[in-house]
Amino acid sequence: MTTLLDISNLSAKVGGKNVLQGVSLAIKAGEVHAIMGPNGSGKSTLSYVLAGRPGYEITGGSVEFMGRNLLTMEPEERARAGLFLGFQYPVEIPGVNNVYLLKAAVNAKRKAEGKPEVDAYEFLQLVRGKMKLMQMDESFLSRGVNEGFSGGEKKRNEILQMLVLEPALAVLDETDSGLDIDALKVVARGVNSLRSAERGVLLITHYQRLLDHIVPDHVHVLARGKIARSGDKQLAVELEKRGYDWVLEVA
Amino acid sequence: MISMPTNRDENWRYANLRPLAKARPEAVDAQAAAANITLPPLLPDYERWVFVDGRLAPHLSAPAFDSCAKVLDSRAGGEEFAALLDAAIATEGVDFALARVNGARGEEVLYVAPPDGTQARIEIIFVATAAASAGTSYPRVQVHAGRDSHLRIVERHMSAGSADSSVNGAFDLALRANAVIDHCRLQNCGDLASCFDTLLAHVGERGTYRLRTVTLGGLSTRSTILVKLAGRAARCELTAASIANGIQTHDVYAEIEHAGAETVTRELYRGIATDRGKLGFNGMMKVNEAAQGADSEQSLKTLLTGAGAEAAVRPQLEIHTDRVRAIHGATTGKLDDQMLFYLLSRGIDRRTAQTLLQWAFIEDAVSRVEVAALRAEIEVLIAAQLNEVSALDGLLGKP
Repeated sequence: MTTLLDISNLSAKVGGKNVLQGVSLAIKAGEVHAIMGPNGSGKSTLSYVLAGRPGYEITGGSVEFMGRNLLTMEPEERARAGLFLGFQYPVEIPGVNNVYLLKAAVNAKRKAEGKPEVDAYEFLQLVRGKMKLMQMDESFLSRGVNEGFSGGEKKRNEILQMLVLEPALAVLDETDSGLDIDALKVVARGVNSLRSAERGVLLITHYQRLLDHIVPDHVHVLARGKIARSGDKQLAVELEKRGYDWVLEVA
Repeated sequence: MISMPTNRDENWRYANLRPLAKARPEAVDAQAAAANITLPPLLPDYERWVFVDGRLAPHLSAPAFDSCAKVLDSRAGGEEFAALLDAAIATEGVDFALARVNGARGEEVLYVAPPDGTQARIEIIFVATAAASAGTSYPRVQVHAGRDSHLRIVERHMSAGSADSSVNGAFDLALRANAVIDHCRLQNCGDLASCFDTLLAHVGERGTYRLRTVTLGGLSTRSTILVKLAGRAARCELTAASIANGIQTHDVYAEIEHAGAETVTRELYRGIATDRGKLGFNGMMKVNEAAQGADSEQSLKTLLTGAGAEAAVRPQLEIHTDRVRAIHGATTGKLDDQMLFYLLSRGIDRRTAQTLLQWAFIEDAVSRVEVAALRAEIEVLIAAQLNEVSALDGLLGKP
């Protein structure tokens, strides 16, 4: 199996504070990894550093994505290369409608791959199919990006974008937060539909309940800016029972 | 002698008045009939009146057979014309100086008077062709909307050719009880033109005046807007969008006076200044003692995308009663970093993402233009103004 993402001893600062302090993690094609951890452990920082958000200073280590040095790539290059970040708090962009964003994103990727623009009719058929899976109403396509969406709708929209873009690696930052159980199942179904031998998923979550629906191959606990413990899905169950303090004590 | 405004006058600090000082003040003499004028397509259900350099161009106009509009000639004079001259314009005050010049120099007035209970749709196009050295054009429109009438006005200002035309327009409107006016104004004159105008509206009981302005063209433009909400529950919705590129200056002074009880204002301004463009929007909200229960909202935002771009946005409140609800917000800033990162993270290139966000910003105002065909046309013009027609292709002209 090829390695999609190889994070080695990664350290990063934000606002003068050392948030990541030597994170190492490798994700192979076909794998689903979950990163859990208490608030402030650096989970979201890791996702932003991977996606290339400005304001994060890399102070050490390296990240390779499909054999390329991820850290020197612009955010848009990372996306076109097949990295997708599902935001914890997706922003609203009134005035730019959803279907436009989806199409522009797909075409940006195709252009980078040297492919022609997507056929408008086929594209719409594809999007409609994915929307059905995500139980989204078609009227949403003509609405502004995330404009006036509920928390659950925003998260579903993130997953829809992911399904349309078909990334090699999806990093999903607390996609489960703020979802009721029905919405959680819809989101999980979307993520599971993308699972394949070629793709990887990195789930960032605070709670174990998401992992009942998207069963991970590996579970890691991020604490104080480091991977404090790794295991299989049993680790998540144990964390649910014993809390994060247990890991912190052992670490 | 009318004393003209200068940048030392409180409400004129940001206007570029130089072109006004340089232009020949006499009305442009004869119509440049030979000028090659291409007009936009007719809007469905709208009659059309076209004025070239301030004078009616009958061969370009298409009035309705039962039109509620007619052109009055000041040279013919008479009582009817004298009765039109607005009392407010005749008063002192530098804010009215340009309107007084218009009244003194202009020769034709388009008089629009939908009778009680009627509806009308009228498009008025002012085409500037003459150079400033040949004179100034003085467009003038006066509207008396009858009780329960509904008037829709599309007002355009455009250039034929690339002359440094000087335009000084005046527009005054009176709305009787329950009258509604939807007024859309698109100013898309040539790069060298200067466009000054004064707009006065007097809104009667439960009347509604909606003004949507989109200002794209001209080297120097300045609108002076004075709306009096005179009757109980009178309402004004003012939406203004503006893009200043290159060395353009777009300045607006908008004063809304709440005189009647329970009067309502909704004011929204979105301006983008690129390059060395300059924007001014001074929104004065006055609430008189008798205007109990008045309700006003102001949202004024500008976006600066050029190193030399400037904006001066000033919300002002002057309140003389306790029972009032007034909300106002004003920001001047750069593109939202979070929105930008979100688009980049979807693979969209930086330049397109920036254009999209500028588009989204100005669309907040433009989406309020009710006339779908006009809105579609404006969106194409804005895409051109943002230099990104192809990137915005999928967003244009969507009703």
